[in-house]
Amino acid sequence: MLSDPHSPALAMQGIGKQFPGVVALADVDLTLTGGQVHALIGENGAGKSTLIKILAGVYQKDSGSIRIGGVEAELRTPRDALRLGIKVVFQEIALIPEFTVAENIFLERHPVNRIGSIAWGKLRADAKALFDRLGFAVDPGARARDLPISTQQMVEIARALAHEARIVVMDEPTSSLTPKEVALLFTVIRRLKSLGIAVVYVSHKLDEIFEIADTVTVLRDGRHISTKPVAAHTQDSLIQDMIGRRIEFLFPRARGPARSDVLLSVRGLSTKDKLRDVSFEVRAGEVFGFFGLLGAGRTELAKAIVGFDPIRSGEIAIGGQPLRPHDTRTGVALGIGLLTEDRKTEGLMLEQSVQHNMSLAALGGFAVAGFVQEARERSAVQGFVDRLRVRTPGLDRPIRDLSGGNQQKVLLSRWLLRGLKVIVVDEPTRGIDVGAKSEIFALIDRLAGEGHAVVMMTSEMPELLGLSDRIAVMANGRITATMPRADATQEGLLSAAIA
Amino acid sequence: MASSSQIQPQPGAGRIAAAMAGQPQAVLIVLLLLLCGAISLAAAQFYSLANIIAILRQSALVLIVAAGMTTLLIGGEVDLSVGASLAFTGCVAMDATNRSGSVPVGALAALAFAGAVGLFNGLVVTRLRVNSLIATIATMMILQGGVYLYTREAVQNQHHLAAFTGIGAGYLGAFPIPVLLAAAVFAAVYIALRHTLFGRYTYALGANPIAARLSGLRVRRLKLAGFVITGLLVGVTGLILCSLMNAGQPTAGRGFELTVIAAVILGGTSLAGGRGSLIGTLLGVLVLKVIDNGIIILRWNQDFQMVVPGVVIVAATWLDTVRVRRRAV
Repeated sequence: MLSDPHSPALAMQGIGKQFPGVVALADVDLTLTGGQVHALIGENGAGKSTLIKILAGVYQKDSGSIRIGGVEAELRTPRDALRLGIKVVFQEIALIPEFTVAENIFLERHPVNRIGSIAWGKLRADAKALFDRLGFAVDPGARARDLPISTQQMVEIARALAHEARIVVMDEPTSSLTPKEVALLFTVIRRLKSLGIAVVYVSHKLDEIFEIADTVTVLRDGRHISTKPVAAHTQDSLIQDMIGRRIEFLFPRARGPARSDVLLSVRGLSTKDKLRDVSFEVRAGEVFGFFGLLGAGRTELAKAIVGFDPIRSGEIAIGGQPLRPHDTRTGVALGIGLLTEDRKTEGLMLEQSVQHNMSLAALGGFAVAGFVQEARERSAVQGFVDRLRVRTPGLDRPIRDLSGGNQQKVLLSRWLLRGLKVIVVDEPTRGIDVGAKSEIFALIDRLAGEGHAVVMMTSEMPELLGLSDRIAVMANGRITATMPRADATQEGLLSAAIA
Repeated sequence: MASSSQIQPQPGAGRIAAAMAGQPQAVLIVLLLLLCGAISLAAAQFYSLANIIAILRQSALVLIVAAGMTTLLIGGEVDLSVGASLAFTGCVAMDATNRSGSVPVGALAALAFAGAVGLFNGLVVTRLRVNSLIATIATMMILQGGVYLYTREAVQNQHHLAAFTGIGAGYLGAFPIPVLLAAAVFAAVYIALRHTLFGRYTYALGANPIAARLSGLRVRRLKLAGFVITGLLVGVTGLILCSLMNAGQPTAGRGFELTVIAAVILGGTSLAGGRGSLIGTLLGVLVLKVIDNGIIILRWNQDFQMVVPGVVIVAATWLDTVRVRRRAV
């Protein structure tokens, strides 16, 4: 391909895309330069995903032009994009679990020997060479499914090199990484820069953008708002561009102090493989935060106290009533429920409507003699859609069409509609952007204010410090420290988490 | 999702196309009309009353079991033992009627036997946690062998009760009794799936079993109910079939489970669970049975009775993905 070395690596101009009833993108520009990291940010439904899916050849643009290295390009399929040097690393990693690292990397172009059979030795050596270029060591013979997410991500990036990609797009790459893994990822991204590759970095985490990006483009409601060097931005100015207003308080605290009645009491809880002697109490009106590194046992604790996972010993009481038998049906009946960390696989019924998703846990209350009173169900659901400002074109729309923040509001409403005493939220803002985050925070604050007990598992330190009344730190399945928020510092929390 | 009420009236062909885009069963309806049109052009007796009744009676047998299978598939499970159970049930029904001389006793025996098979399947799946595909293949093998331990040959009608023959061959007014039974089953399951807690929970279970459990649903009981309902419906069908054949045939029902599952899948119910409709299943059954009938009255080689439906399933499923894609993008 003939290309002008001075033209940008990629120029998208006037990109427009419509879905039935929604303008996803209108007249959006994006220009990438080799050796630079270009951050792409925006709220839910701002159009980031649509834009990178067009770049990946998953969606077709309705209008506008894409030039790669100065040459007009048509991206009709993901194969086209790959062939033209664009590699997109999606949030859901697309490796084949049963294949080795090396096989995954060269999936589309296995090296073959003279008789046409796959040259396994060369395959491994080539894979190793790629990792050397990235400054990262992975066993090329390991099976993909045995690797942690962070390593799988590195394999995806190595695939980009294998395809001689000039443009690498990363969609929320740090959403399931520990701080250490994030540091490693950034080292690799800097290596990509030094190889002259243009990197598009999609993230909700503003501090990361200030650390790694050179340029930042903000989208809002499918429109291009600004493109500036990162140095020209402050955190506030970025947020303002994203939501079109200034967030004075990301963590508004409107509620009063916690009340005295204990709604959740956990005594000496142990499970077969993770939790050891965990005890705590949560009062009405209180947000009790759990901090810990990946694998500390927070998600296991969340699933055990709602009755989802079996326990070996210990006592759980909700509103003074023991959780016995230990199952979710009893849990929900006593008034405890879990907002899971993994919306897609554990929370949503993707193909089903907003209404059906929201009413699931409360449906029994709308039934007379086993028949669902649909009018009552609908008006209750509509009430929560209005109250929580869920942005949806209609109650009958499949929930997969909603943005992450709005899906999360629907799942939270699933429990509000049911009416719980204790709500356990596990990473409530994962994969959600700033504007929707502050709405979720306000909701959690309001829930506590209305007298619910909230147990919050999070790895986001600001979230933890901003919302909790008390904080427990977990490490290796135990609680290593419990403190009121006033006494908590980032350093103190971290040292207890490492203990 | 665009419901039909939102579609603006448009003139002529545009209107038909718009209506099709909004109707999930559009492909099947068009297919069914085309089939009926084509067969009747080639063989005028297709529209004779006798032939229509024959088609409906054949469809009734499949539809009754398919209603249960639709429920199971929506909930994310499957039952491959229905064919083997059907044959065994017929033998049990005829034998019980012979011994007791009472049609109600024979009918109860059929329901009890097939219901127990469903219960067994359900317990193996929910308590022993065996995948339903494997569990019900095992049940199928047990029943196929077991029926020969029970009777070496067909159980003949020794009671000569007119009421027994009436179940399969009789009429109520102008309607054959099996067709009326199928209509009643259809209505009941349709309402159960659309308007009851049972139905809504079944869809939820198939769509996301973890979410269903976290929401406090009685997941095991729900699955068990699906298997028992399917079992009972096999009982009804076994009784009708045995009445129609005037004997309990241990070899009856071979491949019946495949016809049923084919009809359900053709009707748009997802093998992955969480998605499907009974209207689709009805259309799926009719399409398969009209094809069967067409092959017979056109005097084609009967082996086409397997070949043509196979091709139709691939074509209809493909057309449906095309339709969905058109609508989505």
